[in-house]
Amino acid sequence: MLVDVNCWLGHWPYRRLRDRTAEELVARLDYLGVTHALVSSIDSILYRNVQPANEDLAEALAPYGDRLFPVATINPNYAGWEDDLDAAAERLGARGVRLIPQYHGYDLDSPAAQRAAAACAERGLPVLVAHRIEDPRQRHHLDPGQTVGFGAAAALLRAVPNLQLIITNARGLFHSDFVRDPGLRDKAWYVDLSLAEVDYQLHRHPADRRDLGRALAYVGPAHLLFGTHLPFSYGAPALVKLETLELSEADRASIRFRTAARLFALPIP
Amino acid sequence: MQACGKNTAVREPVDVAAALARPKIDMHAHVWPMQGEAVSSSHLIACGARLGITEFWCSAPITGGRLAPIEEVRAHNDVILRAMERHPGRIRGMAFLIPGQPGVIEEAERCLGRGMIGFKLYNQYKLHDPVVEPIIKLATERRVPVLVHAAYLPAPEHQRQQPLTSHGADFAVASEKYPDALLIHAHIGGGGDWEWTLRALRDASPNVYVDVSGSNLDAGQVEMAVAELGAKRVLFGTDGTMAGSVGKVLDADLTEEEQDLIFWRNAARLLAEQGLAPLNMPRGDAQCSST
Repeated sequence: MLVDVNCWLGHWPYRRLRDRTAEELVARLDYLGVTHALVSSIDSILYRNVQPANEDLAEALAPYGDRLFPVATINPNYAGWEDDLDAAAERLGARGVRLIPQYHGYDLDSPAAQRAAAACAERGLPVLVAHRIEDPRQRHHLDPGQTVGFGAAAALLRAVPNLQLIITNARGLFHSDFVRDPGLRDKAWYVDLSLAEVDYQLHRHPADRRDLGRALAYVGPAHLLFGTHLPFSYGAPALVKLETLELSEADRASIRFRTAARLFALPIP
Repeated sequence: MQACGKNTAVREPVDVAAALARPKIDMHAHVWPMQGEAVSSSHLIACGARLGITEFWCSAPITGGRLAPIEEVRAHNDVILRAMERHPGRIRGMAFLIPGQPGVIEEAERCLGRGMIGFKLYNQYKLHDPVVEPIIKLATERRVPVLVHAAYLPAPEHQRQQPLTSHGADFAVASEKYPDALLIHAHIGGGGDWEWTLRALRDASPNVYVDVSGSNLDAGQVEMAVAELGAKRVLFGTDGTMAGSVGKVLDADLTEEEQDLIFWRNAARLLAEQGLAPLNMPRGDAQCSST
């Protein structure tokens, strides 16, 4: 069993992605040995009104309902976002919610984001936030190419203590509040294996040889999930990190599927 | 653009453990001048061993376009020479050079004489700048590769930081001047617009290579490199993104033969240019190192 919490579906306006349909995504997941995936809508990143993207996503995933689960996007700056959240949870079968502040024009620690996060927490829906969507160094001139700061994410979690917060594509975690603030150690925050190097990374000081690996040594593997950022990114890097992590079998099973199954209420044993 | 790879739908599921056992030459690695450099190089090798990396080609460049004095350049190269002495079966050296510097050719000769196998240029000058010519001529004579920090950075805020970083079109110009030079465009995953730079390399000589390293793991970049240049001109490197770089080759829609060209056979062919063979090859692989 292997659950990918960080998949997307759709078209990205700045680059032709490799796997653009649910069928292609499933073929990719088969190659990688991923049994279940939480899937967010790429179209929703740039739509002003995100709800049609949520509807399209649910329809595209429906034929694969036993292994692909939708994550709905909410824009707390947009009129009627509460209705979108209702529809996501009650009609579209969403297992989580994406907030995309860097493209929707708000700060993650703003009152609007806090209200949306609180509403998600009330429903037991985890909130996913991408630290970045694409590498900003290649940004198209129409793309803001911004990352979401760990400070704002930590502030959101402090403001909404019962929130389940998943920061996907996180890099540079070790120096963040999530590791440095003992008050956050036992909170329900998670990162995935998609982009950060666990074991070795480019460094200029011996103490910076590792990022995610060192962060996990401080906070424990309970904060780690399997995620790939498909189809933006290659999927096998996360597999390689999972393979080379030194973990107990119980911790490995938690990262592979147990924690995700609990967070997203997935119908797997 | 050449055809490459095969459809994912017909591929067998990836066997990661088996893939990690396949040999890999990391031709883009670093050991930095800092306290604890021995810890750093030991850690590099230990992490690489878990991924099947059989040898590392290491350099210690001076970054940020800084025109440092030759004494500082020598000190950086001495870091690599010490790492080669500590790990003679694992680390090979790439001499960092600043073109035009008094004594730069002597420094290049010193490093080659001590067993280094190539040169590393950063972004002090564009690759086609005439000031680089003596270095490229020496490299061509000695059949050693020149690895060049490179990226096409479309955004002005990034261009301002690295105005003299070479990109694909710069390599095309340089390779027209030096068609026999073994030039390597570093890290297509190093953060620039990799599609732009790979397209620009269409006009480069067949002796221009790219390496797949870098923290950018965008799906499709390895396949596009193979489609534009052919699998024999794509090299495996990590530049510190170790698991990510292994993973991007494994997940690329390529045949296993194409993956092995990238993982080590192409680097072995570059080594053969100067009469060297890969290190630590599993039995059976060493015999076909220059395929």
